[in-house]
Amino acid sequence: MTTASEPATIEVLASGTAPYHKIDPDGFREWVRDHKERALVSKLMTEKEAVEKFVADGDYITYECNYLTRGPNSLLHEIMRQQKKNLWIAGKFTYVDVGMLVGAGCASKVDTGFFLCTPAVRQALDAGKLEVYEYSNVIMTMRLEAGAQGIPFIPVRSFGGTDGFDHSGAKLITDPYTGQATVIIPALNPDVAIIHVQQADRFGNARLFGTGISDVPAALASRKVIVSAEEIIDTEEIRSNPGLTKIPYWCVDAVVEAPFAGYPGTVPGYYASDPAVVMEVFASVLRGAVEPYLEKWVFSVKSHQEMLEKNVGVAKLLDMRKRETIRGGYRA
Amino acid sequence: MTRAEAFSEREVAMCNVARMVENGRTYWAAGGGTPLYSILLGKKLYAPEAQYVTEDGVIAPEPMLPYEPMMTMLAARATYRALAWGTMNTAGIYSQLGYMDYGVLNTLQVDKHGNINSTFLGEWGAGGRRMHGPGGADTIAACCWRTILITDQSKRKFVEKVDFISSPGFLDGSEGARERAGLPRNTGPWRVVTPWGMYDYQDRRLRLIARVPWVTVDEILAECEYLPLVAPEVKVLEAPTEEEVHLLRTELDVRGQTTDAAGGWIIWDGEQYVRGSAE
Repeated sequence: MTTASEPATIEVLASGTAPYHKIDPDGFREWVRDHKERALVSKLMTEKEAVEKFVADGDYITYECNYLTRGPNSLLHEIMRQQKKNLWIAGKFTYVDVGMLVGAGCASKVDTGFFLCTPAVRQALDAGKLEVYEYSNVIMTMRLEAGAQGIPFIPVRSFGGTDGFDHSGAKLITDPYTGQATVIIPALNPDVAIIHVQQADRFGNARLFGTGISDVPAALASRKVIVSAEEIIDTEEIRSNPGLTKIPYWCVDAVVEAPFAGYPGTVPGYYASDPAVVMEVFASVLRGAVEPYLEKWVFSVKSHQEMLEKNVGVAKLLDMRKRETIRGGYRA
Repeated sequence: MTRAEAFSEREVAMCNVARMVENGRTYWAAGGGTPLYSILLGKKLYAPEAQYVTEDGVIAPEPMLPYEPMMTMLAARATYRALAWGTMNTAGIYSQLGYMDYGVLNTLQVDKHGNINSTFLGEWGAGGRRMHGPGGADTIAACCWRTILITDQSKRKFVEKVDFISSPGFLDGSEGARERAGLPRNTGPWRVVTPWGMYDYQDRRLRLIARVPWVTVDEILAECEYLPLVAPEVKVLEAPTEEEVHLLRTELDVRGQTTDAAGGWIIWDGEQYVRGSAE
C-alpha cells in the first residue's frame, strides 16, 4: 500500500518565451453553450459557404493529416482561394501544406512540429512576415488533447531539455505529487479545425478509417469545425453501427460532401495518390515556384469539383480508385 | 550468406541497424526512410518477432511490399495488416508508458552528448538556415528506452555542440541532466550508426566502437569535428550480404536505389572492398 507523502509546492523552474494561442477553458465552455447546435439539423453546405462562414482572418487553424494523406485539401484550397489572411497554423506532421499557405499569403504564424521549410517560408521569415514557434508533433497533438479535455495545460514526459522548449509556450515545473521536474504545455483550442473523413452524415456524425494524427482531439478542441467527407451516408447507417462514430455531430459546424477531396494525395481505402501531381507540388513548393502550382490547382478554378473536372478528369480518378487495392478496414 | 559484391553507403548503415533488431522488442521508427527500412530488414531476416510503431500509432503492421517511395506513414499499404490502428497521441502515450524499447531516428547533426539537431543551422532566428523541425523525433528520443541514430559520417554532422537541440540526447552530459529536464529516467541515446562505423556512449559521451573493413579509425576520426572517445578494441563490422541488399533493393528502399546512386559505393575488387568514387 502506498500513502501520500508531503505535498510539495509547485515551482516554475523554466519557461519558454513564445506567445501561445489564448487559453480560456471557461470561455470555450461558453462558446460551446452559445454556438454548438444540439439539435439534429443538417449542416450540409458547399466548401465555399463553409469557409466563408467559419474561417475568419486572424483565426488559429488546425487541419488533420496532411496534403499527401487524407488531407482536407479541398478546404485548404478554398481557404487560399478566399485569400484568408494572418492565419495562425498548427503545423504538426505537415509536408507541403505550410509552404502552400505561406506562399498563398494566408499565414503569419506557425506552431510547428514538422514542416518543409521552403523558399517561400524562408522569404517570409526573413521579411518578418512569418513567425514560427517551436514544438514537436506529439507536443502539438497533446496540446490539442488538453484543449479537447477542457483543461488549461497538460503534463508530458517529452520536450524538456530541448531548445524548442525555449521557443515555445511550455514550462518546466516541480510536480506537486512526485516532486519531480515535469514539463507542462499549454492547451490548444483552435478557432477552426478542418478535417477530411471517409464518411459522415448530414448532421456531422463522422467515421474515420485507418490511422490518424489527432482528428478527434482537434474536433473536440476547436470552436468551429468543418468536416469534409468522401461520402455522405444516411443517419440510419450511423445508427446501425454507432461504435464507428468517431466525431459526434454536436462538435461539427459544417459538413461538405467532397469526393476526391484529398486529391492529389491518397485517402486510405478509397483511392491512391496521383504521383505526378504529388511530385509537381513537392517540386513547386521546394523550388520556390509555388505560385504556378497555386494558379493551376487553386486560383484558376472556382471549386474543387471544377478542378477535378478541368485538370484531372474521370479516367484518372477511376484509375486512382482502382490502384487503391486495400479496402479491408476502410468500410463498415 | 554470401557477401555482396557492391553496395551503397546508405545500404551499409541500414544493414548494420537491421542486425541489431531483436525479437520480442518494440521499435518506434521515425517517419519513413532508412529507420523504417532498417527495422523491416531486421524483421524479415533476423527477428520476425520484433514489432514496430510509427508516429500515426499503427501497431505491428505488415506493410504491403514493395514499400512505395512516396507513401506517408498513414497510407493503406503502410498500415496494412496491423494489429491496431491508433493516432499520434497513442504512439506518444505508449512511449510515455515505457512500451517502446527502441527508437530509431535519422538526423542532420549530432553532438558529443547525442543531442540531435533538425531545426536550425546557425543561431536561431538570426539569419541561420531553418530546417524542418523535430517532427516525432523529440518524443522518440525522450521516451523510448534506447535510441538508435542513423546519420552520415561527416564533419558537418558530428559536432562538438549542436546549434539547436531539437531532440534530446544527454543534454549537457552531466549525470541526471535528462531527469532534471523532466524526461523519464534511464532513457537516452544508445547507438549511432553511420556508413563507416558505430558508436556507443561512455559516461554519456560518444565513443567509437566499430568500423567497416574498408575504412580506418583515423579516416573516421578525420570526419568528426568532435573527436569521440575510441574503444580499446574497435570491432570490424561484416559487409552487407547479397540477401540483405536484395531485399533493400527490391522491396524496401526502392527509392534509395535512385536517389543515392550517386553517393558513395563500395565494391569487391576480388581481394578486398574498396570505396568507389562517384566521379
